[in-house]
Amino acid sequence: MIIQLPLNQIKERTMINYDTVVIGGGPAGLASAISAHNNGAKVFLIEREARLGGILKQCIHDGFGLLYFNKKLSGPEYAQNFIDKFNELKIENTTNSFVTKITKKDDQFLIEYVSEDGVKAVSSKTLILSTGCRERTSKQVFINGTKPYGVFSAGTAQYFTNILGVLPSKKCVILGSGDIGLIMARRLTLEGVKVFGVYEILPSPSGLTRNIHQCLYDYNIPLHLSHTITKLYGENRLEAVEIAQVDEKMQPIKGTEEKIECDALILSVGLLPENELAESLGVPLDPKTRGPIVNENYMTMVDGVFTCGNAMQVNDLVDYVSFTAEKAGQSAAKYKIKEQTYNNVEASKDFEYVLPQRLSKNIESENVDFYFRTKKIEAKVQVQLLCNDKVIYSKTYQHLKPPEMEKISIKSTDLMINGDFKLIMKRG
Amino acid sequence: MKIKTLQRKIKKLYPSVVVDTKDGCVHLTGTLDNRDDIVNAGYMSVDKKRYLGVLNDIKLKGFEEPKIRIPKTNDTTLDGLRVDCLVIGGGISGTSILRELTRYNISALLVEKESDLAMQASGRNDGEVHPGVDLNKGSKKQYYVVRSNPEFGNICKELDVDFVRRGQYACFDKPINPLLKLYAKFRSMNGCPTTVANKKEIEEKETHFTKKVKCAISNPQSGVVSPYELTIAFAENAVSNGAKVSLDTAILDIEVKGDKIISVKTNKGTICPKVVINAAGCFSDKIADMANDRFFTIHPRSGTDFIFDNKISGQINHISSFVSAKKNKKKHSKGGGIVKTIDNNVLIGPNVYETPYREDYSVVAGSLDEIIKKQERLLPSLNKKDIIAYFTGTRAATYEEDFYINKGRKTKNIVHCAGIQSPGLTTAPLVAKDVSKMAIEELSEVMKVEENKSFNPIRKKDPILRKLSSEERNALIKKNPSYGRIVCRCEQISEGEIIDCLNRNIKVPTINGIKRRVRPGMGRCQGGFCMPLVAKIISDHEKFNIYDVKGKQSDYPVTFKSNKRENHD
Repeated sequence: MIIQLPLNQIKERTMINYDTVVIGGGPAGLASAISAHNNGAKVFLIEREARLGGILKQCIHDGFGLLYFNKKLSGPEYAQNFIDKFNELKIENTTNSFVTKITKKDDQFLIEYVSEDGVKAVSSKTLILSTGCRERTSKQVFINGTKPYGVFSAGTAQYFTNILGVLPSKKCVILGSGDIGLIMARRLTLEGVKVFGVYEILPSPSGLTRNIHQCLYDYNIPLHLSHTITKLYGENRLEAVEIAQVDEKMQPIKGTEEKIECDALILSVGLLPENELAESLGVPLDPKTRGPIVNENYMTMVDGVFTCGNAMQVNDLVDYVSFTAEKAGQSAAKYKIKEQTYNNVEASKDFEYVLPQRLSKNIESENVDFYFRTKKIEAKVQVQLLCNDKVIYSKTYQHLKPPEMEKISIKSTDLMINGDFKLIMKRG
Repeated sequence: MKIKTLQRKIKKLYPSVVVDTKDGCVHLTGTLDNRDDIVNAGYMSVDKKRYLGVLNDIKLKGFEEPKIRIPKTNDTTLDGLRVDCLVIGGGISGTSILRELTRYNISALLVEKESDLAMQASGRNDGEVHPGVDLNKGSKKQYYVVRSNPEFGNICKELDVDFVRRGQYACFDKPINPLLKLYAKFRSMNGCPTTVANKKEIEEKETHFTKKVKCAISNPQSGVVSPYELTIAFAENAVSNGAKVSLDTAILDIEVKGDKIISVKTNKGTICPKVVINAAGCFSDKIADMANDRFFTIHPRSGTDFIFDNKISGQINHISSFVSAKKNKKKHSKGGGIVKTIDNNVLIGPNVYETPYREDYSVVAGSLDEIIKKQERLLPSLNKKDIIAYFTGTRAATYEEDFYINKGRKTKNIVHCAGIQSPGLTTAPLVAKDVSKMAIEELSEVMKVEENKSFNPIRKKDPILRKLSSEERNALIKKNPSYGRIVCRCEQISEGEIIDCLNRNIKVPTINGIKRRVRPGMGRCQGGFCMPLVAKIISDHEKFNIYDVKGKQSDYPVTFKSNKRENHD
């Protein structure tokens, strides 16, 4: 029998108040929780999986931590550094716990979650949404033909291979040259899987240059640029894919079709920040980053709600995730309710985006970090930040590539001007 | 049309086609270059008053019809089995008939060639429970739909399947006129309550529609249901009342002696039924042919639907379509629309195209653009980016464009439930009653049939935790902590709910079987996160290796054993 106890009674008995509740226990959540704790906040972290560490748990390759730790670590090693610290500080947390609902009332957040212990609720002054991102699916790239099993996103293939110890394929084709796709090309090759090649619709690779070399060229895996998959074959299990060359408008060129027999198609066609919880709180998102619009402290447009890591923007290096998370944690711990006015930050059309999208008129930190991505491959360009048509910052880049996110740090004193900011690019 | 006249008319268009009569049907043979011509010749030959049906055996030049997909399994588990009633086909028709048969104390077996129920047309449609507003009196479709629609709530209550009457708007860009009012009155008189909604009323209920909508034909009795959930529910209730279901079981041949079916050969052995019910969907004419009792032809007609993220469910409430001014009279489907499914996903489609393939579910290039272009005229806020899934289904159309529900004409112990296409989901409960009655009549000639006094029409579904209040959810988790472990983050499905579905009376321990029952993988990530977790739960519960977990079909695994494991295992 179900006992009809009003939820407010359950809550009154069990609900604990925190300064900061962190949602997500991946690299972003861990770093932000540690940072908030070190800045004096009473912190509670909620993780939906059984173990902390997020996606890094399955990233057994190395290359993590070059910026943060000055050494090359594997994903689990990188995560473990933070998990150890987190445990050392005895930060309260719950795993296998799924947030079902967040409501804001009188400057307090009420967070309901489900765990093996039942339906629970906690409250807090601030929230850090470190919910990471998810992979774009095969349905979102609209491949014609059948819908067989054997079409995996690279992350799913990686989970099967590295966590469950089974192989998603015996012979496969990879669509998209995003980093996880490149990593999986190498990983599956090492497992004895035949990888016919990586096919990328764009004329340039989407992953980091180092991954193109270390994962593809070192293993003789061909990279086919300006190619895409046009059709799938096989009703129950993938039997073949049809590939074709594409023109400048990314449309398949008739007559270039080729059929490759394979049992799996691994997709690395982009990542999407997961912001369903943010949206439920009315947090406005930036259509370009797909993450919340933030200020220099990574506070969203809803007061008291912070974000960081891959939920804020898709990062190519986890080190940047940790940096933004620490900033978000510190900001959340120091957060005080007050009226704020803002200047907007915009990027010219040469850029994919710039972040933060707005700056407080009264910046409290010493520096502000700006993150941006170029839209196209550029060589020898000057990136300038303007305010009221005046150059406040300028930096020359020998190369800019869309897969590589750039970070610039600007002194706050230079940014305390009244007016909107614009990031521009000057060529030659 | 006299056969001579028809011969002359067809000869004119298609000189190579031979027109004849056979068993009271028009019989077409020959070879043509174009599929549409074959279909057209079929339609030309329809004359319900003069002939029993159309047998269109015209071949498509250079085309060899693919053989029916037969499961790889071969065993003798059903060999020598004697059953009173054998139902062929595990779609909505077959399972609803099976349940009706369990009202009698007879032995009933349903065979389905796929690894799950509702794998073809019954699992590949928009789930609309139709009002029948577009159907004319005189057809079986219309007869059943207007009688079945009002009963639908009761059936769903008995089977514990969610059903909501969303209401239907067929929208017009012209203001209300007397003709529309007359049309509504006429439809109402024919058993389909219909009104005309004005602009104000529509705007109140549908805030995202284009401003061009001026009025609509309104049918509040239209509803939505999960077609595969209902199919499975019928079968589960039938099994709990004593019927048997055998999946992965295909009909290979039927042995007929004189006017009787003697035995039915399957990949699991030869079955000896007293009566056979043909509910084989797109293959029903093939089954009829095997039973030497073919009086109709199925010409498969495909269409694709696209499903949007449930985030946009607030954009629409009614099952809606925009009636275009230019109406193509030749089209035999309504031309699609927008449906908010029972699971609150917005679904658009389908399109329509004739195909020689009976089980090709591929999506043809251009479908998306065709459909979205059509539906965004009504709902301009639709955005391709919000599409999370799509599927193709095939309608089992006859040339008469009507159901073929009849006892065998040449072979006595068969009942056909064929040509079932839209609104076959709506009509299933009532059609099942009539078909089972025909089967029982036939059966009564060879045995004594009594009522099954212990028949229980009630099926109870397992708890769906995300739909419960926090208090109810909490109480269930306290009893069973696995209800608190969320496996699918998009749809909030717990491990406990997946295990429940592995303990049902028809167990389908595949990724797809779980997905269709409790929905992990139906959300925006399409199983990216949960598919490996579901595989692990299946393998733990069923005590087999993860690399033995199957996707859709029980002969196709999702993953393979690692080469490196070879030495360890």
